[in-house]
Amino acid sequence: MKLLLGLAIGTAIGAVMQLGGASSYRKILGSLLLKDMTIIKLILMTIAVTTVGIYALDLVDMANMSIKPTYVVGIIIAGLIFGVGFAISGYCPGTCVLASAEGKTDAVFTLIGGLFGAALYALVYPLMAPLISLTNYGEITLPSVFNVSNGIWIAVPFSAILLLLVFRVLKDRYE
Amino acid sequence: MEDSPVLSWKVAGLLLGLLVILATALVKPFGVSTQYVVTDAIVLHNAAPSVAESNEYLNKYGEKADWGIGYGWMLVFGMFLGSGISALATRRFRQRKNPALPAMWKEQFGDHKGKRLIQAFIGGMLLLFGARLAGGCTSGHMISGISQLTVGSFVFGASIFASGILTARTLYRKRSSS
Repeated sequence: MKLLLGLAIGTAIGAVMQLGGASSYRKILGSLLLKDMTIIKLILMTIAVTTVGIYALDLVDMANMSIKPTYVVGIIIAGLIFGVGFAISGYCPGTCVLASAEGKTDAVFTLIGGLFGAALYALVYPLMAPLISLTNYGEITLPSVFNVSNGIWIAVPFSAILLLLVFRVLKDRYE
Repeated sequence: MEDSPVLSWKVAGLLLGLLVILATALVKPFGVSTQYVVTDAIVLHNAAPSVAESNEYLNKYGEKADWGIGYGWMLVFGMFLGSGISALATRRFRQRKNPALPAMWKEQFGDHKGKRLIQAFIGGMLLLFGARLAGGCTSGHMISGISQLTVGSFVFGASIFASGILTARTLYRKRSSS
């Protein structure tokens, strides 16, 4: 049952992302070159909606949250590595799956490269322990840092700022 | 043209947000990169069970689902299906002249299929190595993580865009005129 649910939600997510242009090399590189804001706006819009939704669910105890630990140094290094891969391939781990399904063979290579990258990480995982324990503040969120018991008080203004950004500040294209 | 999306970022962002909220209400927030490890774990467990079980990291993810697929894997498989279906339905399946070469890449680097595929492969390796070190990718950290207001996810988001922007600028620093 849960497998079918995963398949159903995944199919809907895949279709929406594909229709939104998330699997387009030009759109992703356009974002990283700060010329075409479509994908950046799509991500910010998604986050604006989701943040309020999750913290509204949380008010009625219905949010199955999963907070990842914050280890600042390790995450910065990880992000720098990820960013290079992002710009070189023009995909991310999810969008290369979408683009593979569109028949883009370079995306299939990114997907296979990803399987090797994950295997490589599994191989060197014991060596990564210091990076994960260094500057590890545990599962912290903005509400927990600012000691706000109902996260919705931060979620609403945060989403409002994002909506202001996507609708009023950011343009679609820059030259 | 693959360059003009069927759905605007407003509609796509709203729908995607609603789907992630639904997933969080029913099961958990959405993430992709873990499933690369799960796939590796399943493949290796079939080929060499003892090697897979003795690797601490693969064991962490493989054992949990009894070395098989679970909800998260089906979700990513669903993404593949959903993208394929919508691409076919909107006549965007195999739209490129050469399926391996994005037009924009070709303008900058030329008609070199092999070079592009090697780049794509190495890019994929870096993506997943980074994502596993961080504990998530664009979906799990950026979208789901920031939406839960997780501090580390803001750090990850800033770091990937700083590095991605710098790398993209280096790659596309001068438009070749030849």
